[in-house]
Amino acid sequence: MGEKTDVWQGTLTLMVLKTLEAMGTMHGYGLARRIEQTSGDLLQVNYGTLYPALLKLEQEGYIRSRWGVSENNRRAKFYELTKAGQRRVRKAAAEWEQTTEILARFLAPVQEG
Amino acid sequence: MRRLRALWMRLRGLVAGGPAAGEFDAELESHVAMHTEDGVRAGLSPEEARRQALIQLGGAEQTRQAYQDRRTLPWVESLLRDTRYAVRGFRRNPMFTITAIATLALGIGATTAVFSVVDRILFRSLPYAHDDRLVSVGLVQPLEKQEFTLGGFFFEWRDNQKPFSSMTFERGVNACNLTEANPVHLDCAQVAQTFLPTLGISPELGRNFIPEEDLPNGPRVALISDGLWLSRFNRDPNVLNKTIDLDDRPVRIVGVLPKDFEMPRLQPSDIVLPAQMDVAAQHTVNSGIGFPLWAFARLKPGVSIAEAKAEMEPLYRHTQQWIPAEFRKEFLLEVRSVRDRQMQDAYTAAWLLLGGVFAFLLISCANVASLFSARGAARERELAVRSALGASRGKLIRQTLTEALVLSVAGAAAGCALAEILLRVFIAIAPTDVPFLAAARLDPRMVLFTVLVSLFCAGLCGIMPALERPRASALVARSTNPGAHARLRRVLVVAQFAISLVLLSGGSLLARSFWNLEKANLGMQTRGVLTVHVPLSGARYTTTDAYMNFYLRAEAALRRLPGVTGVGMSDSLPPDANSWHSGTRYAEIFVAGKPRPPAGTGGTVVIRAVTPGYFHALQIPIVEGRGFTEEERRMSDHPIILSRMLAARLFPVEDPIGQHIQKATFDPYFSLNGPVYTVVGVAADVKNAGLADQDDPEYYTLRRDNAEDWNPHAAILIETALPVSVVAPWVRTQIAQIDATAPAEIDTLAQTVNRLADRPRFETALLGFFAFCGLSMAVIGLYGVIAFVAAQRTQEIGVRMALGATRVDILRLIAGEGVRLIVLGGILGLGAALAAVQLLKSVLFHVGTHDPATFIAVTLLLFVVALAATLIPARAAMKTDPMQALRSE
Repeated sequence: MGEKTDVWQGTLTLMVLKTLEAMGTMHGYGLARRIEQTSGDLLQVNYGTLYPALLKLEQEGYIRSRWGVSENNRRAKFYELTKAGQRRVRKAAAEWEQTTEILARFLAPVQEG
Repeated sequence: MRRLRALWMRLRGLVAGGPAAGEFDAELESHVAMHTEDGVRAGLSPEEARRQALIQLGGAEQTRQAYQDRRTLPWVESLLRDTRYAVRGFRRNPMFTITAIATLALGIGATTAVFSVVDRILFRSLPYAHDDRLVSVGLVQPLEKQEFTLGGFFFEWRDNQKPFSSMTFERGVNACNLTEANPVHLDCAQVAQTFLPTLGISPELGRNFIPEEDLPNGPRVALISDGLWLSRFNRDPNVLNKTIDLDDRPVRIVGVLPKDFEMPRLQPSDIVLPAQMDVAAQHTVNSGIGFPLWAFARLKPGVSIAEAKAEMEPLYRHTQQWIPAEFRKEFLLEVRSVRDRQMQDAYTAAWLLLGGVFAFLLISCANVASLFSARGAARERELAVRSALGASRGKLIRQTLTEALVLSVAGAAAGCALAEILLRVFIAIAPTDVPFLAAARLDPRMVLFTVLVSLFCAGLCGIMPALERPRASALVARSTNPGAHARLRRVLVVAQFAISLVLLSGGSLLARSFWNLEKANLGMQTRGVLTVHVPLSGARYTTTDAYMNFYLRAEAALRRLPGVTGVGMSDSLPPDANSWHSGTRYAEIFVAGKPRPPAGTGGTVVIRAVTPGYFHALQIPIVEGRGFTEEERRMSDHPIILSRMLAARLFPVEDPIGQHIQKATFDPYFSLNGPVYTVVGVAADVKNAGLADQDDPEYYTLRRDNAEDWNPHAAILIETALPVSVVAPWVRTQIAQIDATAPAEIDTLAQTVNRLADRPRFETALLGFFAFCGLSMAVIGLYGVIAFVAAQRTQEIGVRMALGATRVDILRLIAGEGVRLIVLGGILGLGAALAAVQLLKSVLFHVGTHDPATFIAVTLLLFVVALAATLIPARAAMKTDPMQALRSE
């Protein structure tokens, strides 16, 4: 197992939003597992940090929550994107792509010429 | 927007709205359960799976805490928690809470009320543009200490001065009458055309005078006050160019003054007229020195008052030639700010008040600090326990500060209410000559000041006990150790006593001085004497004949009233030094056959023109010779009566009766072409220069039935045994029969004299109040310390008694502690008081600042009261049952 990377705050928000966009409705545990899997087990998500982040998103009105029943017949709280959340995830993804693109140019090997 | 929404949600979370905290536990539980299930499915034992799940979560409690912090606003929550904790503590300890709040309320209330009063006097901005650049310029001399100037000087100064951007003057305020339908009595000010622009006042309506209107015999125009505009014209904007009849002559209104307008010398004024001064004539009129006027000027930018005075000095020396050579040296140039000129000795009262209340505030702060410290000591173990359970030092300090803050806010609220009451009391008992006091209000700045004071108290009281680090030993000690707390509180008690002593000595000195003032021998009777003033309109009474006729008829009519045993008249009344009376200089009195007195003024001599009834009405004894007779009023002789003081000075060895005296006239200087007076009697001395000041020598001339002896100044004295309420209507009827338009102002002489003592009464009452409250607080503080020390030492007392100590030994042990504090505080306080009372020097009457009787009495009083405060807890300690004391804890 290689060295795992800690998730820093801002990107965690984006990952949550993006995952919810892709998967629709999910509960907290599912979200945590999904993010871990998507990162190819490279990310060590401290599951506990997920919940304050979810609460913040909810307070800001990007996601909403309701109680439901999980696939294993267990009561769980499910999260989904709101309209504002959908707009937000598109905007943030675009911004992120632009940022990484710019960084990529800096990090790319210098072309001789 | 999103941030605001989040903040709103978190605030809702604070008041238990939004997602409930318990809900998260359920979510967390379901999370862990699902994770555990997955673990079991992967082949782990259920226990191991749950352990792994919790590890990956990062701890259930930490997650819960992080979630909670996000759910609400943590700092607000902790503040609320601290506040709730504090309030709970206060409720458990109501005595402490009430004492602390009452102490703070008294301190804050008194401070705010006094600040509201002195703010108007010391810090109020005058209603002029850039009022700090305005100065009053003039001359002072021993007979007139308020600077004034004269036409002969002013125009030369104005045209040649450098330090001022402009210079202007006013010619004083005179009585005038609006003589049209509903005539009213008004005050008319005469000012230069440059007056309003120099002070930076622009009319509310209309315009200032134009230069052509300020020339001799120029058009008659006027500016009216806002008050007159309202009362007379109901704020009619068409008032401009209206003509009013002022003293039977038409005057055109050209403007309305702003609402806050006031004359720089604070005289009341309803109408402002152009002075229309004849500049060229100023070197010829009034013996060549010109008419008196009062000059004001605006400093150029960057010029200080001292620099302006230095620059004016050569100009002044040049104009000195106009002053009679005899007095030239006694005239001095004065330049001071308009504010100083206005406030005069109100400054003394204001600083006195401020000083008194500041000392009082110190005592109350010390008391609260002491209370908190005692509480801190009692709670030492609690703090130590909380500290051991993980509360940081910062948290403990925050907790203590919150407690102080809660108390201060409560104290400030109570203090504001108290301040409002105190302010009303101040206004009710204040002398009328403290400017602006009647208008003093608790304004928002005062409330802010209160809050600042209360925060200051909170900081002081809160930090001190919190800084005393809770010791680990407090956890294990069987009884807490009072060491550090007690030391701090002893220091506070000593300080309180020292400050109380300062306040008490100041208050007592003022009280003694006031007592002396009340008991001062006036040299005349004030009981059973009524004074009648009739302000006659200058327009109706144009000659001295007219005045004489009015007063002679009034005298005859009043004599006929039943119950009136005597009527006298005078141009002025003692003991007021400021009422109108003519005076002269001792050097201007010449005795026939004696050499001229040496140069210099020799001081003031009061001259009073009286009728024979004056001495009888006031019961001033004639100690030599005789009084004036009724027959003399119709003769052409010039009899004169000297006061004993003047007689002794003029005739140290000779018999004064029959001597001839002349008063110098100034046309030309020091010529003797006035009447020759013959001394017919010597009267006993009367207080004639105010209640508190040294008496001046005085002489009386007879006001004969001859117009040359009369002028508009006259007061009628009525001697009667009947109450004023009975006689006053009769007097009014009699006066109205002579002149229906003349209003009579009737007063008892006792009231008039009493009013002169208003200011010392005010100062004494206030300082006395602070001294009393301060002493009470100091005593409460001392009682608290001794009771606390006694309680802390209960066990020790038990051991001592078990080992054979008598009750007296115990009393000595506990009381000795208090006595040491009292003595130390007393010595420090005496030293401070002896220094501080020097500030009272100028307001004390017939009491030295180091009056030994006062200081001994005050120290004794303090000692006795303090001893009582010590003995009560000490006696309680003495009665301790040793068995119980040993068993306790």
